[in-house]
Amino acid sequence: MFKKKPIITNRSQSESFCYFCVCKFMIEFIRMKKNIILILVLLTAVFVSAQNNTEEKYLLTTKVTTFGLSVPSITDPYLSPLVYSGVGLCYNTDNRRYFKPDNTNYSMQSKFSLSTGMLLNPALSSEMLYFGANYGWGANYHFRLKNKLRILAGGLWDVDFGFKNVPRNVNNPVNLDMATNLNLTGLLMYDLNMRRNTLHFQVAMQTPILGYMFVPPGGASYYDMFELGNTANAFHFSSLHNKLGLNQTYSVDVPFKQSIWRFGLHFQSLKYKANDLVFMHNETSLIVGTTFDAISFGGKKRKAPLNFISTND
Amino acid sequence: MKRYIYIFLSFVVLLSSCINEPPTQPDTYKGNFESLWKIIDEEYCYLDYKNINWDSIHTAYKTQVDTVTDQYRFFDMMAGMLGELKDGHVNLYSNFDKSRYWKWFTDYPANFNSSLVFSERYLGDDYRIAGGFRYKKIANDSIGYMYYGDFSNQFSDTNISLIMKSFSGCKGLIIDVRDNGGGYLDLSEQLASYFFTEEKITGYMSYKTGVGHSDFSKPIEVKTPAHKTVKWQRPVVVLTNRMSYSATNSFVCRMKQAPKATIVGDKTGGGGGLPLSSELPNGWLVRFSAEPMFDADMNQTEWGIDPDVKVDMNATDEKNGYDTIIEKAITILKE
Repeated sequence: MFKKKPIITNRSQSESFCYFCVCKFMIEFIRMKKNIILILVLLTAVFVSAQNNTEEKYLLTTKVTTFGLSVPSITDPYLSPLVYSGVGLCYNTDNRRYFKPDNTNYSMQSKFSLSTGMLLNPALSSEMLYFGANYGWGANYHFRLKNKLRILAGGLWDVDFGFKNVPRNVNNPVNLDMATNLNLTGLLMYDLNMRRNTLHFQVAMQTPILGYMFVPPGGASYYDMFELGNTANAFHFSSLHNKLGLNQTYSVDVPFKQSIWRFGLHFQSLKYKANDLVFMHNETSLIVGTTFDAISFGGKKRKAPLNFISTND
Repeated sequence: MKRYIYIFLSFVVLLSSCINEPPTQPDTYKGNFESLWKIIDEEYCYLDYKNINWDSIHTAYKTQVDTVTDQYRFFDMMAGMLGELKDGHVNLYSNFDKSRYWKWFTDYPANFNSSLVFSERYLGDDYRIAGGFRYKKIANDSIGYMYYGDFSNQFSDTNISLIMKSFSGCKGLIIDVRDNGGGYLDLSEQLASYFFTEEKITGYMSYKTGVGHSDFSKPIEVKTPAHKTVKWQRPVVVLTNRMSYSATNSFVCRMKQAPKATIVGDKTGGGGGLPLSSELPNGWLVRFSAEPMFDADMNQTEWGIDPDVKVDMNATDEKNGYDTIIEKAITILKE
């Protein structure tokens, strides 16, 4: 016959005492060590948060804005065989960031520059007004040779526009520069630790390799080209055989209180030939500007976290 | 790696030799003379057409360079050399003078008397002015008359439309471009376009492609379009004289092909070469004809364009207050 298991309704005295002691110890421990537990919980939260930060990386864009005083010299045989030289102003912006947060080997770069100048011929009898604009986009591979020495090498596609006006020329007072180029770019960066600051030295080089450019035939007028539509011999393939140039920028970034200032020298040397005309543009600029790292939010995908405050909010 | 760098650098050095700068002359009398001679030799477009032996001119003037003692005489000597080109589009500009060749009109009858044009018989005092045009109805309000003295004076379609509207009751229109020394070529095209019913080839242009005297591009068609909205469909007479030059010459060349246009007066002054400029080492500017322009039959227009009806001013008419050329135009339009 089936027998029921006896139900224990009362614990023995020794068992009850033991249970009581453990509970009491726990309560006392909790009471006494409340602060310790609180700290532990907080530390765990911070640790978890720190883990989250290292997992989720944000791409910073290094932005450089510089202004410069330049000394340009221009030879434009369409306007004059003489070398015009003078003074000018320039403005440059340069943005660089990695393509992806988890790959720090490849970065993209965009550049925009404006320049203007007033130049005179050697006899000071005629003046030239110059205005130039350039936009470029490129990519670089990062070589890390030593801890503080990096080399970036890559390519940059740019679009170049220039306007040159010699008012004294009665019938051909203007010539335009229009070109697009594929450039080789190189950048050498070195960080030098000083007592309090770290100075960031940089040497940037750029040279055109291939491209397409507008150069009017020496004997043709703009009336021919733009009114009558005769653009024969006005557009030319360019490569190292007819276009040589080198842009060099030597700069140092110096941190001040809450900003980093860039000081540098920029040398531009460009020479190209088409329609038996040899054009030259050399320029030396003293540049000053600022550089900072920034992150941008906007659009549907890149919304700012809640702890970022915008004036649009 | 080093090997490749050396190869690349050698390649660049080799290629850089492809871009040789042209030799430049020093800023001396001789250097400036040679520079001017070379610019004309390589870039002036009418040496062959005018049958000019530029080498012999070099020989003739080179001997004068050594005798020059100051910049004024040097300028006169250089201006004299440029004068051999017999071209109104050739000038030498210095800070103290501008050389010019004016015989293209000074050797011919003026065929224009502005005091007659502005007399009561024609424009008088009560003419209207719009976009560089001075205009009024003449010959008992039967003829519209517009004087246009400078192709550098801009005008708009609205200007022309309203001028033509004011002439709506007239039998014909006179456009007087006598003593108009030229200006913008695009204005000559615009003004001509009001008198065409369809686009037409009205001339050709070419430009120098090399340093040889006959190195020219293929002729490029110069078309005159018919204006889309503003049209004068009645007879028109264009009045010309020897001072109708450059862009005015181009306008007359176009109007020769306009369906209801008649050119009346004297042969135009020419100036068929579109000018460009260059500079000498001393900073003087030289302007010269660089692109020859041709009429619709590929005839050069440098020496001028013949009118359809040749008329010279008559001294007796002039004394009596009549402009012979305007009177002839009125007669043609009233026929």
